Amino acid sequence: MQQQLMGRMVQMGLGAELIYAFIIIISSLMIYFGTKELYELTKYKGIKYFREAFLLFAIAFFFRSFIKSIMILFGLSRPHDFQLLGIVSLFIFLYTITLAMFYLLYSIMWKKWRKSPKIIYLFHILAILIAILSLITGNITIILLVNILLLILILSITYIAHKNPRKKGQSIHLIYVLLSLFLILNVIDILIPNFLQLYQLMIYLLSIGIFLLIFYKVLKKSGSD
Amino acid sequence: MKKRSKFEIMKDILQTVQNNPDIKTTPLLRKSNLSTLRFKQYYEDLLKKELIKETENKGKFVNLTEKGFRFLDKYKTILNFIDEFDL
Repeated sequence: MQQQLMGRMVQMGLGAELIYAFIIIISSLMIYFGTKELYELTKYKGIKYFREAFLLFAIAFFFRSFIKSIMILFGLSRPHDFQLLGIVSLFIFLYTITLAMFYLLYSIMWKKWRKSPKIIYLFHILAILIAILSLITGNITIILLVNILLLILILSITYIAHKNPRKKGQSIHLIYVLLSLFLILNVIDILIPNFLQLYQLMIYLLSIGIFLLIFYKVLKKSGSD
Repeated sequence: MKKRSKFEIMKDILQTVQNNPDIKTTPLLRKSNLSTLRFKQYYEDLLKKELIKETENKGKFVNLTEKGFRFLDKYKTILNFIDEFDL
């Protein structure tokens, strides 16, 4: 009886994880492919980094769902416990999700940073460092600190973009801030599994809501089918 | 007179080519209201992006490519998209 109940809970948990990842991956890929024509016509740098950010989100959530599924199926408490495959998947997840957030920032800031185009390499290095640091340290405080610092960095850059008087009142900056916040909560959820367990469903629903909102905006503004 | 954005200048040049098929570069430069240097930059950029094409037939003639027509068709959508996402 107890075993049956456990089996059903595993099934439900796995199902929820897969549905969650599926919605985010599909909406991200549709944003990427939906903006293909606009990019091909213009070769505009802002559009390039915007759509690449969503391609990276799709990759990140694919690996996230893989890690989560393995953890649920094998009853693991940490992704590290799944040997090399777990560690590699976790590294790809952390690297791509951090880089995606940086790409999104770069898409709104590239004009201001035009004089220093090498900043994009700095983002790659930072994403690798954050991924490695989060991987090798099992310390909850360090993981939280790294993610809080990342959020502060994103908030500051978005605030600078928002300060532009011509762009005041633009809701997209607020959406990006919320997106970054929920992505960081997704990262914490993987690295410290029990930390946000109580709020997991809420985080999932709000994350889906934000992705669908951006997807809707893209669909409306890009004129794609 | 308000300064034209990069996309506006691109659109203006493409529209001139659309309205004057087989236009030569000198009248195109005149109609674009740009300095020779700026026109050259835009012209080469449009060629590189495959929005216009040159044909040689006792002189150099300029025409829109399929992509060029699509750019003009999507011009407002492109601007709205860039503005909406602050790109």
